[in-house]
Amino acid sequence: MKKIIVAVVAFGFGIANAQEVENDSIKPISTISLDSLQQSINEHQLKFDALNEQLSPMQEQVDRMSKIKISGYMQVQFEMYNYQDVPVVIPAAGTSPAKTVFYQLKPNSSETNYTILNTNTVDVNNSFNIRRARIKFTYQPIEGVIFVLQPNFSFSAVTLKDAYVQLNDTWINTFQLWVGQFNRPDYEVEFSSRDRIIMERTRMSSILYPQERDLGAKISMNLATQYEIPLKIDIAAFNGNFGEGPIGNQVTDVDSEKDFVVRTTYSLQFPKQGLGIDFGASGYYGKNTVFSAGTYSDVDNKPFTAAVGDKLKKQWFGAEVQIFSDLLGGIALKTEFNKGVISGTSGVAILNNNPSFNFSGERDFTGYYVTLEKNFGTKFQGGVRYDSFDPNNRLSGDEVTLSQDLKVHTWGFAFHYFFTTNTKIGLGYTMPINETSTTVSGIYNDDVKNNIATLRFQASF
Amino acid sequence: MKATKLKVALIVLVVIGIGFSFTTINKVTVKGSDTMVILSQKWAEVYMKKNPGASIQVTGGGSGVGLAALINGSTDIANSSRPIKPSEVEKLKARYNSMGVEIACAKDGLSVYLNKANTVSTLTIKQIGQIFAGKITNWKEVGGADATIKLYGRESSSGTFGFFKDNVVRTDFSPTCQTLPGTAAIVNAVKKDKYSIGYGGAAYAEGVKDCAVKKDDKSPAILPTGTTIKNHTYPISRYLYMYLKSKPTGETKAFIDWILSPAGQGLIEEVGYFPLK
Repeated sequence: MKKIIVAVVAFGFGIANAQEVENDSIKPISTISLDSLQQSINEHQLKFDALNEQLSPMQEQVDRMSKIKISGYMQVQFEMYNYQDVPVVIPAAGTSPAKTVFYQLKPNSSETNYTILNTNTVDVNNSFNIRRARIKFTYQPIEGVIFVLQPNFSFSAVTLKDAYVQLNDTWINTFQLWVGQFNRPDYEVEFSSRDRIIMERTRMSSILYPQERDLGAKISMNLATQYEIPLKIDIAAFNGNFGEGPIGNQVTDVDSEKDFVVRTTYSLQFPKQGLGIDFGASGYYGKNTVFSAGTYSDVDNKPFTAAVGDKLKKQWFGAEVQIFSDLLGGIALKTEFNKGVISGTSGVAILNNNPSFNFSGERDFTGYYVTLEKNFGTKFQGGVRYDSFDPNNRLSGDEVTLSQDLKVHTWGFAFHYFFTTNTKIGLGYTMPINETSTTVSGIYNDDVKNNIATLRFQASF
Repeated sequence: MKATKLKVALIVLVVIGIGFSFTTINKVTVKGSDTMVILSQKWAEVYMKKNPGASIQVTGGGSGVGLAALINGSTDIANSSRPIKPSEVEKLKARYNSMGVEIACAKDGLSVYLNKANTVSTLTIKQIGQIFAGKITNWKEVGGADATIKLYGRESSSGTFGFFKDNVVRTDFSPTCQTLPGTAAIVNAVKKDKYSIGYGGAAYAEGVKDCAVKKDDKSPAILPTGTTIKNHTYPISRYLYMYLKSKPTGETKAFIDWILSPAGQGLIEEVGYFPLK
């Protein structure tokens, strides 16, 4: 009996204790998790706010930096020359009589532009050289305003190629105002050598537009952006002497005359046929001031006396056509033609001497080129070009008495392979063929040997 | 026995190797419009299932990014929710002697998003343009509450940005317009802000209301629906494009032909856009 009572009391005591849950270690799950979750969210929110504070000023800096664009390219090449020897008269000196020796015509020098040819005493048949090393900085601080600076790096100097401000009208998105130093309005001049297939620009462009650029201002009207009319008109005024004379004189004008250029282009597109035709016309009106009095030659090949301050004509009109077709991949036929009067004064020390037209007088000229270009997929490109420059329309063949008046045709061939979108290698061959004249005689009885083969490596970014 | 098993295994490996060497993987790269990326991925997925030898790689980044990739050669197809610009055609001409090939592949309507609590439901194209240009800054100027209008838009590389600017705003966006990376982000922002306004593809408008758009004061207000977008009665309709450097060949041509076929066009409405026909 006693044992049963003790057992019941002990059992009851155990049950009574089992009901007490004052300090139970297992707390209600929902209350604890919500609190700690809220706390965790608050802590993370603080961290996100702190990160946001750090990132906001960085975002401002990134936005500012994204307004600057940097691009550039470098062309390194290996040239192989097939240049002939030309006779050079060594004058008498002391007891040594005058004698004629044969030296190599200096590669990359003009075969017709100088009365005394540039020569090498020791033959140079090949050479590595850096043709281009340029970086272009473009900064757009606000919509409609662009600053462009493009220095050119060479062994001995850093020169300025482009330095201009471009203002775009933000009302009708049609007009642009360019002020500074920039390319003269011409198709071949404005086409970057980064994208060009034939190794060098035509003889015509290098004579009419030395160094491609000039200092001035241009208004450009493009009706395509706002009105979907594919018409573009450029009107520009330039100093007219950039690329001429000693380099120190090129930074400002050397007279009060300005050269004016007008160029207009129109584009036709035939999407179903995969055909596009761009065509246009241009005009150049300027004057060359005489800085060295003397005897000059006019367009009729007659001598006249020019005094310092006299003005010589410098004007021509031009036409251009570019045809693009999606026949078996991209193929293009491009041509330009210019005819008019070019003038100058010979002598490299003359303030406005055009090194590619080293002649005292005015000449009636005609120049043109025809280029055929083909893309083979995205990796290969090939092209062939025929260009012709006749510096004196009034004379031909044996009527020509001066080497500077000889016509020169040039064949150019090139083929490129793109390793990547930014690197390519190209092989080109250039064959100038000059008009012959027994009256000029000497080396001009035949075509002067001056062909160049070029292997060029280009990297751009 | 072991040697026999080894020989059999080697023979099988050789046979598999020879078999794989005859399997060609034709890769097509597609880059560009964020508006089109989901649609393009859908096309790629279905096409690759039907054509196991094909590999179609689709990425976004914006119409501008896609066209830049087309010009520099790093993509076969550029998706774009805006027409190509003349300056981009000039770059194609300079690099490839080609004007490029434009293929319209779908239709889309650009919706103007409003918060559901906003009392304004109808605007003219001119009013929408003036709002985003910052010339109308308060909802009361267009019949709504006296509250400042908060603007949300896309970054400049976006084709949606370009199309909206050229066809509606017609001038610079207000400097107060906040740039967001993608239409979904704009929808989210408008959903949370009662006095905000944004724009983007009609397919993305969930949780916000579409503004009924009038061509001018006298025209009826049109909402962006399948019917009004297909028949171009909704004023802000556009085509979605694929651009190529030149006429497509090989696997690229096969892929594009399939996209333009009833099978490819049939997938468009699933993603929220509209077929060409």
